[in-house]
Amino acid sequence: MTMRSILSGLKETNAKYRMFHAMTEDSDPGDAKFLFSAKDNLTSADMETCSGSKILVGYRPPFDAESIAKMRAAGGKLIGKCNMDEFGFGTFSTNSGLEIPRNPYDLERACGGSSGGSACAAAVFEGHVSLGVSTGGSICCPASFCGVYGIAPTYGRVSRYGLIDYGNSLDKIGVISADAKDLRKYTHIIAGKDAKDPTSCAQPEFKDTGRKLKSVAIPKEGVEGLSKDVEKAFFEAVERLRSMGVDVESIDMPSLKYAMPAYYVLATSEASTNLARYVGMRYGQQEGDHSLKFDDYFSYFRSKYFGDEAKRRILLGTYTRMAGFRDRYYAKALKVRQVVIKDYKRAFETHDAVLAPTMPFSAPRFDDISGMSALDSYKADYLTVPANIAGTPHISVPCGYGSDGMPIGMQFVADHWDEEVLFDAAEEWEKGFEMRKPEVGA
Amino acid sequence: MDRETVERVARAAHIKLTEAELERYSKDLNDILSYFELLDEAPDCEESGVNPIEVADVLRDDEPRMDADPDVLLRGMDTYERYIRGPRLS
Repeated sequence: MTMRSILSGLKETNAKYRMFHAMTEDSDPGDAKFLFSAKDNLTSADMETCSGSKILVGYRPPFDAESIAKMRAAGGKLIGKCNMDEFGFGTFSTNSGLEIPRNPYDLERACGGSSGGSACAAAVFEGHVSLGVSTGGSICCPASFCGVYGIAPTYGRVSRYGLIDYGNSLDKIGVISADAKDLRKYTHIIAGKDAKDPTSCAQPEFKDTGRKLKSVAIPKEGVEGLSKDVEKAFFEAVERLRSMGVDVESIDMPSLKYAMPAYYVLATSEASTNLARYVGMRYGQQEGDHSLKFDDYFSYFRSKYFGDEAKRRILLGTYTRMAGFRDRYYAKALKVRQVVIKDYKRAFETHDAVLAPTMPFSAPRFDDISGMSALDSYKADYLTVPANIAGTPHISVPCGYGSDGMPIGMQFVADHWDEEVLFDAAEEWEKGFEMRKPEVGA
Repeated sequence: MDRETVERVARAAHIKLTEAELERYSKDLNDILSYFELLDEAPDCEESGVNPIEVADVLRDDEPRMDADPDVLLRGMDTYERYIRGPRLS
């Protein structure tokens, strides 16, 4: 696949996989050094940006997100904005107000969420890199379901300027690709201090490049509740790691079970305030009746255009911040975050990384997802939310395939700012791993 | 969470719910909040920051500058003579 052939077949390929909400009309790559795509919650000056929501249809941002600007400056050509769960609210990319991406290994299955379109694009287009965003697992989950590599760097490593916020204390921009080496290369491109996002200004330089992974800890709580396929693939992968000279130890991390409720309290609390700005003025849909009183005008837009899960999370987050409930939920969740961080730090005193399967099952079928309750869906995130609530970098690598041929991933978590050990782990793992490619075509 | 509370929260969030939505969200939120009771037994901790890493204040020089062209910012907005149209306040 050349850049030109990818561009000339873009519409047809997208009609099959639905990875993009908006895409380039160009068929000539010009002097581009590489093609890339980006999750649709990163603003782009030349393409509509909707963050998977009907309420933002028609929004043309006046500027590029810093991460997109850096990719362009490095010679990248943005070819598409990737479909996703509305504002990142989901585990399967099925909570979209727009299009739902199809898994390249089985079109009747989900890509994972919420950066589903990004992982799909990385799996389908040869030599492609896509920017994803993780709040509670939204890079590693879809990378696992689509059989590709994905990294969510340390919170604050990549500027969030131009990111449509979900949870400000949780959102991290990262990289998804079928080639492990791309993760280091493109994370280095998009990382760095940016005065427009003060949280990025506390970051140190990347630690020594090429630091080897020598030992991993597997939390007992991280290997509970797995499907048979995931359990088999994961423990076979652990044996392969041992054969590569990596020490493996089983440990207790009791705080992990509290991470899921703490995550949903923090994420929905932050989301409910962030989404207060969408009221039918300034962004996206604005066709309302100006003779209405402002309360009724705002309610009209929000009720009509927010999807089911967005409304649920707004209600949940508004409730957990209300006077009388705030201490029990929000304040306690902040403390739990610190407890989880301490548990990770303890593990990192004697190990380079913490390892577990990325997701407890492989990509589910769409008809199975439609039968899941909201709480069932939240519970599916129990392996990815701990690292996200802690702000620690984590990487998903393909580690095997289920009896149905669907990809399975495992997730390494490292200490704050120690992405290099993860890059090395992924690159070492990639050597000799029999990676399958989906049969693609328009 | 009872129906009255869901209605009160929805009003605060500027979302009008249909009867079917009220019913569904009351049940869902009850299930979710019951699960969140797990937090009551979580260990306590003296530290409590809003960010997972230490974040230092970053201040820029107090000098006027133009980050974006106002006409570009107004692109796509419902405007009247470079003002943004909005609903009435009372």
